[in-house]
Amino acid sequence: MTESADIGIVFWVLSFVILVSAFMVVSLKNIFHCALFLIMCLFSVAGIFVLLDAEFLAAAQVLIYVGAVAILMIFAIMLTSNLASRKIRQVNENVSVGVFVSVLFALASIILIAQTHIWHYKTDFTPVENSIVILGKYLMIQYVLPFEVVSILLLASLIGAIVLARKERS
Amino acid sequence: MSEYVAVLMFILAGAGIVLVTFFMARMLRPHNPYPQKDINYECAELPVGSSWIQFNNRFYIFALIFVIFDVEVIFLFPWAVAFGQLGLFALVEMVVFILILLFGLFYAWKKGVLKWV
Amino acid sequence: MSSMDITFPAFDLRFMAPEIFLFLWALFVFAYDVTSKRKSSTAAGYLAMLGLMIAGAILAYTNYGQGYGSMFLFEPAAKFFKIIFLGSAFMAIGSSFGITKERIINHRGEFFGLILLSTVGMMFLSSSNELLSLYIGLELTTIPLFVLASFFKDNKLSVEAGIKYFIVGAFSSALLVYGMSFLYGLSGTTDLVQMKINIAMTHLTFKEIGVILVLANVLIIAGLGFKLSLPPFHQWAPDVYEGSPTPIAAFLSVGSKAAGLIAFAKIFVNGLYAFNGPEMAPNDWGILVGILACAAMILGNTVAIRQTNIKRMLAYSSIAQVGYIMIGMVTMNDLGIASVGFYIFAYMFANMGAFAIVAIFEERTGSCEIQSYAGLSHTSPVLATTFAVFLLSLAGIPPLAGFFAKFFVFASAIKMAQADATAGWLYWIVGVGLLTAVFSLYYYANIIKVMFFSKEASPYRVHYTFPSFGIVLIGIAGVIIFGLYPEPILKFASDISLSFGFLP
Repeated sequence: MTESADIGIVFWVLSFVILVSAFMVVSLKNIFHCALFLIMCLFSVAGIFVLLDAEFLAAAQVLIYVGAVAILMIFAIMLTSNLASRKIRQVNENVSVGVFVSVLFALASIILIAQTHIWHYKTDFTPVENSIVILGKYLMIQYVLPFEVVSILLLASLIGAIVLARKERS
Repeated sequence: MSEYVAVLMFILAGAGIVLVTFFMARMLRPHNPYPQKDINYECAELPVGSSWIQFNNRFYIFALIFVIFDVEVIFLFPWAVAFGQLGLFALVEMVVFILILLFGLFYAWKKGVLKWV
Repeated sequence: MSSMDITFPAFDLRFMAPEIFLFLWALFVFAYDVTSKRKSSTAAGYLAMLGLMIAGAILAYTNYGQGYGSMFLFEPAAKFFKIIFLGSAFMAIGSSFGITKERIINHRGEFFGLILLSTVGMMFLSSSNELLSLYIGLELTTIPLFVLASFFKDNKLSVEAGIKYFIVGAFSSALLVYGMSFLYGLSGTTDLVQMKINIAMTHLTFKEIGVILVLANVLIIAGLGFKLSLPPFHQWAPDVYEGSPTPIAAFLSVGSKAAGLIAFAKIFVNGLYAFNGPEMAPNDWGILVGILACAAMILGNTVAIRQTNIKRMLAYSSIAQVGYIMIGMVTMNDLGIASVGFYIFAYMFANMGAFAIVAIFEERTGSCEIQSYAGLSHTSPVLATTFAVFLLSLAGIPPLAGFFAKFFVFASAIKMAQADATAGWLYWIVGVGLLTAVFSLYYYANIIKVMFFSKEASPYRVHYTFPSFGIVLIGIAGVIIFGLYPEPILKFASDISLSFGFLP
């Protein structure tokens, strides 16, 4: 099938961009450039979501992560005195422990997931059309209680953010 | 899925136009840099200090409040799409959701965070 | 996933009246604080305490039932833990008046309001039998606590505590959600009871899913282990307790820990109970958690001996106490769950009381070093005596409540080990528990020694202020009354097992 081959190419390109930009985020010396690469990484993840027919997640990814969180990070960098142009150290004395734990965890999860052959159980899977409508219905009907609690959660974070970010006057 | 091919094309075309313009300019222009030409505003003010300055703290609180309401918008999105198939209760649920968050705005306003002094 | 089967679960707002009231009251506290002219008034704190009392009264008159499907189930376990959440929030606020007076200038109302919001999150969490609402309840519990831990913004230690707690909390939430996503992927439902059935059915034909269940279990144990400060996920606790305001450290050690416990019980004892035992060999989470509990008891009790700061010592002591509580959890029968409930109830009075005294002492002297307590019995005998009672209860000395807490936990484990031949490993855990309990006596008694048997009298004379003294009295009353007469609480705690499908 040609369409799936095209999707395959797009997937590999996006994955390559994600991996390279994610590596740049953790390895560049200028933290401002790291933030720009983070935006690129998050945007490519949105592309992966589109490939998986998860349009809502793609929209959320662009709107929240690319649109708001990344901007907030850049603001935070610009606010910090003299951090934006400075070169920072990328590693500390814990780097070997960190690499060890991450590699161990990655290997363990890959091996465990591969052993279960979990993708063999359901072969007749077809993505749902209009997934956002169904999502909206679930959110408004079945999961409306957690949905309302989310607004309490957002309120608590708003108040907490104001308390912490405000300059103290005595 | 196929409608996203257009989006992809658009992104590629947009990036391509920029790159081609840069490339053409590089080919056509003479290469003759000198200090006066290298400053940011070639034909007007001299820049003072570095452009890497510390921003005002207030931007940050605005950005934080913006993120919170951005997350709210992402919840409005599926609600709005599905609204036609839902009843009055969906409206009530969303009004409750927004009212709770509006309290946060009221709080921020009363606290004087939104003022630029 | 057709859109036809989306229906409203059975719902009735009356069953969530305490939560709704407490949330509205928190808004009232914020609104009052932000609109009132008088700055740095104590009224917001008293309002918050009043709200907690009214919420408790509403809780007492609320019947058991389905508030919103399995996302809000008001049942004995939820009621028991809600009492603990309300109680620990009440005692935390009560002991924070003095310590916040000097150090928080602009945001005192928010301090109390955020404690209330965190309590609302805990209460939602304890009623939830469903992964999504469980997770959101847990987030609502912890997000205000990040802010509260760093509330002394001019103090480097407090800011460090907040950042540390935030990073650890965010990381543990990520692990938890990752684990939950595996459970959802295996079962196709977020309802915990339905999940148990679906996974068991799938497991009959596809044995391999056991492997991925292990991954999910490990991720969720790690995620909740951070909240419970169960080793090896405990390193944040001493730093955060030391840096954050003392009443918040107390609230973290009791309220937030109880929230982690009920979440753990919901997921593991309710949702994954069927996946424990020899026939489900790869999913024996009981033994894994048992090993972590042993690590908690050994590490907490030995490292606590070397501490010179009282808050760090109490942090390590709380790590050890979680170890004892987890013995009851892995026993997995009606007595085990009941003993968990009784333990956290007794622990609330002793630990909140001990932290209240640390807060009073810190307010007066500005010091949290154990050496500063030297000779306190000469100048402030009441303070020294009450502190000694709390420490002895934490150590588990009869006839205080802490003794019965430890006794019931060990008794339930031994009974289970006797009844079930495959549960023989519980003997080992009880052995470790008994041995480390003796160790723990050393550092608790050391503080009593410093206070009572010092040659010189202390340079400090500590006077009681009103709300904190009330909290100390409540703590003393709880520790002594429920030590001498534990039956009513024990009977109530045994009702918890009904919520987990055990018949007492």
